[in-house]
Amino acid sequence: MSKPMTDRIMLGAFVLVVVLGTSWQARGADAKAPYPSMAPVDQYLIADRNAEIALARTAAPPSISRDANVMVLGPHGYETAVEGKNGFVCMVERAWMNPFDSPEFWNPKNRSPICLNPPAARTVLPITVMRTKLVLAGKSKEEVMESVKAAIKKKELPALEAGAMSYMMSKDAYLTDKGGHNMAHLMFYMPLGTVWGANLVDSSNNVSEPFPGSPLLLAPTYKGNPEPMYMFLMGTGVWSDGTAAPM
Amino acid sequence: MNRTRFAVVVPLIFIPVLITGGAVRTWAEDNKTPYPSMAPLDQYLMERNAEIAMARSAAPESISGDAEVRVLGRHGYETAAKGKNGFVCVVQRSWISPFNDPGFWNPKGRAPICLNAPAARSYLPLILKRTELVLAGRSKAQMFEDLKAAVDRKELPAMESGAMSYMLSKQGYLGDPVGHWRPHLMFFAPLTDPAAWGADLEGSPIIAFNGKDDPERVTVFLVPVGHWSDGTAAPAD
Repeated sequence: MSKPMTDRIMLGAFVLVVVLGTSWQARGADAKAPYPSMAPVDQYLIADRNAEIALARTAAPPSISRDANVMVLGPHGYETAVEGKNGFVCMVERAWMNPFDSPEFWNPKNRSPICLNPPAARTVLPITVMRTKLVLAGKSKEEVMESVKAAIKKKELPALEAGAMSYMMSKDAYLTDKGGHNMAHLMFYMPLGTVWGANLVDSSNNVSEPFPGSPLLLAPTYKGNPEPMYMFLMGTGVWSDGTAAPM
Repeated sequence: MNRTRFAVVVPLIFIPVLITGGAVRTWAEDNKTPYPSMAPLDQYLMERNAEIAMARSAAPESISGDAEVRVLGRHGYETAAKGKNGFVCVVQRSWISPFNDPGFWNPKGRAPICLNAPAARSYLPLILKRTELVLAGRSKAQMFEDLKAAVDRKELPAMESGAMSYMLSKQGYLGDPVGHWRPHLMFFAPLTDPAAWGADLEGSPIIAFNGKDDPERVTVFLVPVGHWSDGTAAPAD
C-alpha cells in the first residue's frame, strides 16, 4: 500500500480510535484512564447557548445547517433551540457518544458537532437523546448501556431507517485529546453485517486492513454494543466552511 | 469543494449514476452530437484480459482482487472471473449515460465500477438490461420504453439498502470533456429527494442524480475521494 494511503487510513483510524473507541475489556480499566468518571455536569455544558447553536451548525455547510433544527444540551438533556425546515437536525454531541469502552468516554472537552439528515434524525438521534438523558440523570456507563439495551429489546428505540447519514465537517470540533483533534467526514448508518469494503478499527485501538486502500472506515461505535448498526465514515477533504481539510 | 466546477463537470461525464438523467425531449439533439448513433460494435469491445484488468482497477486490489469480473461480449456481459467476496467489477460503456447525454454512443467510453453485493443484486441488472437492449439493436426511444415496461412489470429489482460501488479507476474514460474525472464512491437508493442527503447544495461534498425522469427510477449519491485505486493522490477538484 502506498504511503499516502497508509497516512490517510491512519488519520481516519486515529480519529476513530481515539474518538470512538478502545477495547471493550478496557471498561474495567477506567481507573487508569484520563477520565475515569463523569466530570461535573457544568464542564460538559456550553454556557453560551448561542455559541452552542453556532457550533452545532458548523457540522455541515451553511446551505444545509442554516435550515436545520438545532438542539442544545441543557442540564437534563437536549432541548430544541431552533426549529428548522429541512428535516436536518444539528447538535453538538458529547463524549458519551463514544463506545462505552472508550478512554475518553467522560472527556469533558469533547465537542462533536453533527448534522443528521431526516432519516438519521428519526432513527439515530433518539439514541443520542437517550444516552444523554441517562448520563445526565447520573447513571453509570454500565447502567446507560443496560438501559439502551433494554430499550432496544422493547423496541422503544426506532429501527434504523434506510438512507440515514450525517455530516461532521466542523473545523471547530474537538473529537479527541490527541493529534489534530478533528477530521472532516460523512457518516453512513447501516444494518449490522453490511459489507462496504471498509477498513476496521478494533476494540484495542488497532486498525486492521482487510481492504487496504479503501477510503471507508467502519467505526467501533455501536456495532451491536448495544445499538444494532454499523457506522461507516469517509473523509470529505473539505470543512463545512469550504476550506480544504486533510483527507 | 468547488461547486461551480462540479456543476460544469458532472453533467458532462458518463458514469453509471447518469443512467438516471435523460430527458426524452432532448433525444432529438442526437444529430448535433459527435456520436449521433451507435458505432460499429467492435469499437465498444476490448481485449478480454485488458478489460478484466480495467474492471478491477475500479477498486483497490484488496476488493477487486476477490471480485467477480464480467466483460462485454457480442451478446452481453459474460463472467470472466469468479469472485468470492460478493463484489462484481465491470467496465460500463457509454450507453449507461443519460439518454440525453451527447456521449451516449461514444465508443471511447469506459467506466470501470466495482459493485458491492447489494448493488450487484439490484443495480447490476440495470446495467445488464441496458446492454442487452443496445446489443439487440434497440433505439434509444425503444430502450426507454422497454426499460419503463420492465420496471412496471417489476422485472428489474428495487435498489437494496446498502447498495454502493467504487469508481476509483485512473484508467477510466468517463467522457470527452473529463477523461477519467475524479475517483468517487456511489451510493444507490430508490428514488430519493437529493435534499434528504444535503446533496447538490452549496458546499456539500455529495452530488446526486435523482433519476426522477428516468425509467429505472434510481437515485445515486456520489462522493469524490482523495485517492485512486492504486493509492496515488487524485486532483482536489
